[in-house]
Amino acid sequence: MNALKELIRDVKAAMGIYESPNPELHGLLAEFPNPGALYHAAEGVRDAGYKHFDTHSPFPIHGMDDAMGLPNSKVGWICLGGGITGLSLGTWLQWWTGSVDYPLNISGKPFFAVEPSVPVMFEVTILFSALAAVAGMFALNGLPRPYNPLFYSKNFARATDDAFFLHIAATDRRFDAKGTRQLLDDLGAKNVEVIQDKGTSDLED
Amino acid sequence: MATIRSSNPLVWLFDPIRPTGDGADAPYRFKASTLSWTIPLGIGVIALVATLAVGMTGEDHKQFYFSYLTAWAYGVSLAVGALFFVLIQHLTKARWSVVFRRIPEALLWSFPVLAVLGIPVLFGMHDLFHWTHAELLDPASPDYDYVIAGKSGYLNTPFFLGRLAFYFIVWTLISYRLYSRSIQQDASGDIAETKSMRVTSAWGLPLLAVTTAFASYDILMSLDPHWFSTMFGVYFFAGSFLAIMAFMIVVSMSMQRAGMMQGVTTEHYQDLGKFMFGFVVFWAYIAFSQYMLIWYGNLPEETVWYRHRLMHGWELHSAALLIAHFILPFMILIGRWAKRIRGLLAFMAVWVLFMHWFDFHWLVMPVLHGEHAQFNPLDFLALIGIVGILVGLVMFRLSRHSTVPQKDPRLALSLSFKNT
Repeated sequence: MNALKELIRDVKAAMGIYESPNPELHGLLAEFPNPGALYHAAEGVRDAGYKHFDTHSPFPIHGMDDAMGLPNSKVGWICLGGGITGLSLGTWLQWWTGSVDYPLNISGKPFFAVEPSVPVMFEVTILFSALAAVAGMFALNGLPRPYNPLFYSKNFARATDDAFFLHIAATDRRFDAKGTRQLLDDLGAKNVEVIQDKGTSDLED
Repeated sequence: MATIRSSNPLVWLFDPIRPTGDGADAPYRFKASTLSWTIPLGIGVIALVATLAVGMTGEDHKQFYFSYLTAWAYGVSLAVGALFFVLIQHLTKARWSVVFRRIPEALLWSFPVLAVLGIPVLFGMHDLFHWTHAELLDPASPDYDYVIAGKSGYLNTPFFLGRLAFYFIVWTLISYRLYSRSIQQDASGDIAETKSMRVTSAWGLPLLAVTTAFASYDILMSLDPHWFSTMFGVYFFAGSFLAIMAFMIVVSMSMQRAGMMQGVTTEHYQDLGKFMFGFVVFWAYIAFSQYMLIWYGNLPEETVWYRHRLMHGWELHSAALLIAHFILPFMILIGRWAKRIRGLLAFMAVWVLFMHWFDFHWLVMPVLHGEHAQFNPLDFLALIGIVGILVGLVMFRLSRHSTVPQKDPRLALSLSFKNT
């Protein structure tokens, strides 16, 4: 049972949802003065061996995925799976409707033939690939996600305006309240804040 | 302008711009010896002379003309593909492609040579194009062909020659405007050249699209004058654009092996690979669309074209086309990793270039050998001839100027280009 919980926690962490066992210490949120500083801080955190961290900025920063050490997206594989499913379904649909369920003789053509079926097979492939790609993107990003403990930081609201943040979660193997704070200070953080996970009950204030 | 234009009109057709390579920055200089263009050019000329010598001995010259037409149309499609590519890059203000833009630009100036190389086709018109036979148009003749007589307003020799001349003049004109301005900019760095090339592209692209479509109807589709497909022009374009991507990959990698064009990185190759993948799919999409409509319509004068290609051994060619021109390249090129391994990408580029020729062979040869699918040694000899001459021309042009548009305003962005 514990192993299962661990597994779920790991999967969630891979989606960017870090669930700290200790609600008093969800993680550390560091603010950086500009995109360049955030970029280099991400490199520093990556080189220090951290995995459970994320950056927040009002606009996309070019090259940030490399700086954070993020691997290539896996959405392509999910999309491929969707495509193969769609192709199979489209083929089956054409064959089953055309020659099993409701065979109709149309100008002497075969009940099922590949030629006229390809457009349907193709379109269903595209439809399922596209849906799988969007669904996969949501899943891998841990979206939709209405609650995030980071919202408890008053300062964090500025992440959509003019501030640049780096968040290191307490679930990271290398996380250590003092050492990590030291690392962030060394990387030039303007201020470092401890994030507490107070749950969803009192977010109204 | 005056400093770089050759004034003699005959010289202009083959070498319109005086060499400016000495003005190139050191990393953009052409470093290979003159052998890099004399050898392919020599091989090409020898192969073409051999094709002509072998083809013209004996009674029947048909094999020569059909083999030659296949190879020549292949050369034209490469040059047309290059022109499409350059036009689209200017029109979209593309940044990624600037660093290797000289390769398609160098191919642009093969149009005058290709026009000259088209002369043997004109001599073979009676053998190649059934619609040139006068007795088909004479209602009194037993060979009178109602369908072809009805098309004689378009398919007649003077109009055909006039159209071919028009296509080549238009292509040469657009090419000259783009190529000379790009070379000009190497020295002046004037941003007005970039704008001017974009303006040329704006009217050049639709003009090229229409002339390419009609050229494909005239050169390839009219081999079987009863048959027609409005999709054919797009089919020709799809193959050309695919082939030019492969061509740029091969030439660029060869240049890099010789120590030039070091600015082309895996990122550029990945994008060329994406384009190659995309146009493998687009080609298949167009080829299938043409096939499916004819299959569904089931009209004898349309289906007969495919019938010729699905019997007497041609069905194997058709199957090979489906597998090796679409399914295998699709499977291999779909992954990101495949486009980032240079050796694999180079292999696929050569593969695609060969399959593009195979496609043309499949379009042309069933007209001659409807009863028995075959390859003739002349097919390959003519191909080596045309490709050798084209490669020689490209290397010659590259050797005369900076190998990179060194003062293009977007060059820096191209050099630092990265896939996200």
